[in-house]
Amino acid sequence: MLALMRLLIFGLIALTTLYLGISWYSRSVRRKKMAQDWEEAGRPGDRDAYIEAGMAQYEQSLRKRLIWLVYIIPVTLICVTIYVTNFM
Amino acid sequence: MVYVKWVFWGVFWTVVVAFLHYTLPQHDVVRITDTYEKRVNPGDNSLFWSNADTGEDPTATERDVFFIQTFRDNDKPMIYRNEDTGWGWPPYFKFDTANLQAEASDMMSKKNAATSQWVVVRHYGWRNELFSIYPNAVSIRAATGPDEQIIPWVKIVVLVLLAALFWAIRVRWIRFRERRIAPVVDEWSEGVR
Repeated sequence: MLALMRLLIFGLIALTTLYLGISWYSRSVRRKKMAQDWEEAGRPGDRDAYIEAGMAQYEQSLRKRLIWLVYIIPVTLICVTIYVTNFM
Repeated sequence: MVYVKWVFWGVFWTVVVAFLHYTLPQHDVVRITDTYEKRVNPGDNSLFWSNADTGEDPTATERDVFFIQTFRDNDKPMIYRNEDTGWGWPPYFKFDTANLQAEASDMMSKKNAATSQWVVVRHYGWRNELFSIYPNAVSIRAATGPDEQIIPWVKIVVLVLLAALFWAIRVRWIRFRERRIAPVVDEWSEGVR
């Protein structure tokens, strides 16, 4: 069962790296977009407060939750592959 | 310098293409003539044997491997090994080696048979006589005939996804270089303030 352990551990490390990377990238894209929004809206009030409010919204958004697919898709693919290859 | 660059990228892409060609599934339409089991002792070619840990001790140096003997439409032989890939690479997650061997021996069809039973063998890997390398059969099903056409869906999907991933990273890298690295280098080299 050493091989299974190896797959699980390295898989978890790789997917977590990917998850953190995508989270960071997505957050930075959103931050940039909020700054641009602020400019286009005619600079309403404090810039940082505007961006932070947008980021608070992002934390609740579907887009952020969709990043969990990084874990869900590979695990589903592995399960389907195991079933199709061995039991179909 | 420009030749060094060419050689580097040439070698790089050759390795990538060879790796994908070895790993991605391929289909052959063949006639199975026999199945057998042989003691193997992988040496320099051990990279091309699977020896997966599926409950048994993978540290044993000698072991028995199932083989499937076939003939293709052009009457050339093709021998497949039939090994578990288990939880390792390549990710076929194949554990049903013994079942596959049973299916294969059930579909035997010799040259002198009244009607030929053609089968589609899904496999990965290469056959190389010089290094005793065999492709690994992953699954077997009956074919409609010797000239059945197969659309390699898995290969298409994987290659399209890989190309998309490559493109996405490349575009972002070029953008990053233009915005972040090029201005800094210009500043150093030209003293722009």
